[in-house]
Amino acid sequence: MSAAALVFVIDDDPSVRSSLKFLLSTVGLQAETFESADSFLRRKPTDIPSCLVLDVRLPGLSGLDFQRELAGRNICIPIVFLTGHGDIPMSVRAMKAGAVEFLTKPFRDQDLLDAVRVALGRDRARREQDKEVEDLRQRFDTLTSREQEVISMVVAGMLNKQIAAELGTAESTVKVQRSRAMEKMQAASLAELIKMIEKVKPSKEAS
Amino acid sequence: MDAETQTARDRGEGLDLRTLIETIPALVVCALPDGSVEFANRAWQEFTGGSLQQLKGSGWQTAIHPEDVRGFAEEWNASLSTGKPFATEARMRRADGQYHWFLIRKALAIPPDQGGDSSLRTLIACEDINERKQAAVRLHQSEIQLQAFFENSPSMIFLKDREGRYLYANREFKRARRITEEQINGKTDNELFPAEQASVFQASDRQVLEAGVPIEFEQVTIQKDGQHTSIGQKFPLLNPDGEIYAIGGIVTDITERKREESAHRYIEESHRLIVETASDCVVSMDETGAIRFANPSTMKIFGYDPTELIGKPLTELMPEFMRKMHETGFRRYLATGQRHINWQGTELTALRKNGEEFPVEISFGELTRDGHKVFTGFIRDISARKKAEEKLRASERTLRELTETIPQMLWSAVADGAVDYCNQRVLDYTGLSKEQVQGAGWMKTVHRDDIESMSRAWTAAVSSGEPFQREFRCLRAADRAYRWCISRALPLRDQSGQIIKWFGTVVDLHDWKEAQQALQMTQAELARVSRLTTMGELAASIAHEVNQPLTAVTNNGSACLRLLANSSLEPQVLRRALEEIVADGTRASAVIARIRAFIKKAPAETSELDINEIIQEVLALASHELHKNQVLVECQLTRTSPLVRADRVQLQQVLLNLIMNGIEAMTAIADRPRILWVRSQIDNSGDVIVSVRDSGIGLGSDTDRPFTPFFTTKAEGMGMGLSISRSLIENHGGRLWSTANSPHGAVFSFTLPAAGESP
Repeated sequence: MSAAALVFVIDDDPSVRSSLKFLLSTVGLQAETFESADSFLRRKPTDIPSCLVLDVRLPGLSGLDFQRELAGRNICIPIVFLTGHGDIPMSVRAMKAGAVEFLTKPFRDQDLLDAVRVALGRDRARREQDKEVEDLRQRFDTLTSREQEVISMVVAGMLNKQIAAELGTAESTVKVQRSRAMEKMQAASLAELIKMIEKVKPSKEAS
Repeated sequence: MDAETQTARDRGEGLDLRTLIETIPALVVCALPDGSVEFANRAWQEFTGGSLQQLKGSGWQTAIHPEDVRGFAEEWNASLSTGKPFATEARMRRADGQYHWFLIRKALAIPPDQGGDSSLRTLIACEDINERKQAAVRLHQSEIQLQAFFENSPSMIFLKDREGRYLYANREFKRARRITEEQINGKTDNELFPAEQASVFQASDRQVLEAGVPIEFEQVTIQKDGQHTSIGQKFPLLNPDGEIYAIGGIVTDITERKREESAHRYIEESHRLIVETASDCVVSMDETGAIRFANPSTMKIFGYDPTELIGKPLTELMPEFMRKMHETGFRRYLATGQRHINWQGTELTALRKNGEEFPVEISFGELTRDGHKVFTGFIRDISARKKAEEKLRASERTLRELTETIPQMLWSAVADGAVDYCNQRVLDYTGLSKEQVQGAGWMKTVHRDDIESMSRAWTAAVSSGEPFQREFRCLRAADRAYRWCISRALPLRDQSGQIIKWFGTVVDLHDWKEAQQALQMTQAELARVSRLTTMGELAASIAHEVNQPLTAVTNNGSACLRLLANSSLEPQVLRRALEEIVADGTRASAVIARIRAFIKKAPAETSELDINEIIQEVLALASHELHKNQVLVECQLTRTSPLVRADRVQLQQVLLNLIMNGIEAMTAIADRPRILWVRSQIDNSGDVIVSVRDSGIGLGSDTDRPFTPFFTTKAEGMGMGLSISRSLIENHGGRLWSTANSPHGAVFSFTLPAAGESP
C-alpha cells in the first residue's frame, strides 16, 4: 500500500483511537487521531489521498451531522462510519450521504481495513481526476481566445469552412489556429480533444 | 479829655454822682488808674452776683472771661499811656455762671479831687451786647449755609449786575461753563461766551430787566458732549427803593432727566400695552369698591365693554352669593389690613354679563397713590382648565374604580420605592389599613425569612429601574397563614426617562404553587417508575460504552495477529498492546457490572397490593401521555380489590411499560378511535389477570416475538422493555404474554398469583 496516504480517525474514546492507529499501522497506513470534529476541522487540509474514520456518536455534533457539515463546506473526504450500536435507518442515511462503509463496533479488522482501502482509493481517484482536469484547464488557458473559440466550434462538430464563415476569416487561418490549439492541448486526435474539452468545460462553465 | 466825659461832668455838676450812677440802667464801675475798682453800681453787683466788697480792688476782673482778661488789660494800659479812649468787648460772667458779651468803655473821667484823694477816677460803663453779638454769629452762620447751598447746588446759580457783569457764579456754573472764578468776575456774557450763546443769555436778562418780575425759560446750549437742554429762572434783585440792582439766575441742566422721562414714559407705555393686550382681565377698583379701570379682555371674559364698567361696583362681576362676603371682607381689610382671602391665585366664581357663572383665578395687587388705595385684580377665566380637571378627575375616578374592582391586588409606589397606594383588595388580604401599608409598612406582612431578600430585590429594582418580580410569603389576614405570593412591578417613566412611579401587582399563587409542587412530585414519581421505559435509550448508551473497550480490544488483538503473521511483532509493541487489551477488558466488565446493578437492582420488596389501586396510579402517571396522544381509556376493573404480593415499583414499571407501548402503537392511527382498555380479572385458579388492550397497529403473526430482547418496532427503542417486563412478572410467579386484538391492535396480559399463595 502506498505510504502517501493519511487516515483521519475521530473518536471520543482514547483506547479506540490508539488501537485503530495501531491496527492501521500494521498495514502501513499512517493515521492521525482526533477526539472531536472540531479539532479535526482545525487541522489544515492535506493534499495527499486521505479518508475519515468517524464514530457516529461524537461529543457535541453527531457523526451524521458532521458528515452534512463537511458536505456543506465542500470538503469531499470519503467517510467510514463506526457505531456502538447501529440501527438500519441511521446507516442508510449515512450511506446515502456518501459514506464508504458503516461498521458496527466491534468490527472485524479486515472489514475496517477494506473499507479504509476503498475510501483511500476513492479519494486518490478523485484527486487524480481533479488533477487531470486542472492540467487540462491550464492547457486550455494557454489558448488565445480565438483558438478557444475555434476549438469549441470544432468540438461542436463544425467544419473548418463553417467556422471560417462564422468568424469571418479565411479557412486557412482556422486550420492554423486549430492545429496550434491541438498542439497546445497535447491532443493526438480530434476524439481525444473532444474528451479533453468535455472534462474542462463543465468546470469551466461552473467557474 | 474827650467830649463825652466833658459833657458828663457838665451834667454832673450839682448832681449827686453816686445817685446818678445807681439809677442808670448800665453796669458802671469807678476805677482807679491801676485798674482797681473803687466802686460798682447796683446793676453791676446784681449782674455779677458779687458784693461791693468782693469787687473792690482788682477782684472785679474775676468776672471777666479768662480768655478776654489779657486783651482787656492791654487795652486799659494802652488807654492810660496814650490817652486813647478806652473801649473793648469782653465776656463777663453773670451770677448764674453764664458769660455775656459786653462793650466796656470809659464813660467819664473824674479829675482828682482838689482837696482830698489824689487819683484820677474813671467811670466805666459796661453795655450788654450779647444779643447783637449772637445775631451777628447767626448771620454769619446763615451766610455760610447759604453759600454751601449755592456752591453745592446741582443747578447753576449766578448773579449779574444791571450791566450784565457777573457778580457771583456758583461752582456748578463754573464747572458746566468751564470758567474759573478769576475769569468770570466782573465779566459779561459777551466776553465769556460765543456771540450766539451770549445773545441767548442776554435776551432773558433783558426780559427780566424790562418786566421786573421773575421769568422761567428753557434754553438749549451746545456743549462739548453735545446738546444740553436746561430750564432756568431769572429774577430781579431789588434795592430798598424798589429798583433793580442785579439779576439772579438758577439754571438746571435737564438733559439727563429728559432721557429718564422718556424711559419712564416707555415703561409706562409698555405696561399699558401689556394690560391692554393681556388675555387676563385686569380690573382696578378704588377704596369705595368702584371700578376705575378695566382692560379690553373684560369684554371677552365678562362680556362688558370696559367703559361701561367704570364707576360700577366690583361686585357686579360676582354672583349674588359672593357679594356680601366680598364687601365684608373688603371693609375689614380697609379697616384692619386683614385679608379675608389669599391674594395670589385664588379660585373664585365670577359672573358674566349674561348671568353665567364661571370659575376664575384671581390675583390682587394694591397700590397707594396720593394717600388712596387702588386695588388691581388679574382675573383669569379657568373654565377650560376646570373642565379638563374635572375630566381628569372623572377618568381618575374611573381608574380608581377599576383598580378597586379588579380582582387583583394592586399597588403603586413613588420613585424612591415608598408605597403610596394599595387597592382595597390588598388591604382586605393583609388586614392593614391604608395608612399602615404606606411607605415600607407593607413589609410587616412579609414572612420573616423573606423580608431581607424581598427588600433587597425591591431596593435593587428601584435603584436600577429594572422590572421588579419576587415571590414571597405573605401573611393573609383571613386565616393568619403565610401564603406564597408573587409581586411584580413596572416603572412608569416620564419623557426624559425619569421614573415617576411604580405600579405593581400581588398575586396569591399559593394554590398554584402547591399544585406545582404536587405536579413536580408526580413527575419525579413518573421518572422513577418509567426507568424501565427508558431502558431502551439506556441500552443504547450501554452498548456504546461496552462496545468502545471491546473495539479497542479487538483492534489491538487483530493488529498483533497481523504483525505476528508477518513475524514483525516486536515484544515491546506486543506488551503495550496486551496492556491496553487488559485495561479495556477491565473497563468493559465494569460497564457490565453497572448494567447488572441497574437491572437487578435491590431485591424486590414485596408487599400485599391492591392491583386496582396500582392500575389507577399508573393511569394517573400516564394521564399526560394519554391526553397528549388523544387516547381514550376504558377501565374494567374487578369489583373486589384483589390483593397480590408484589414489589410496588416493579409492578408499576411493568404496567406503565404496557400502557406506553399501547399508546405508541396507536400514534399512527388516524382512521379509528384510539382506545386503551385496561382490565383486571380473577381467573379460575384465583390468580389476578391484568390485560392492556389497544387499537393500534398490532403485532403481526408472531405474537411472542416482541418479548425477544432487542426486538423493536420503534425508531428509538432497544426492544428491551417487554423482555424485562416478562422477567419481572416471572420473578413474581406470574406470566406475561400477548395476543392479537380483534379487529385491530394487540392485547398484553399478565397474571400474578393472589396474595397468600406462595409464588
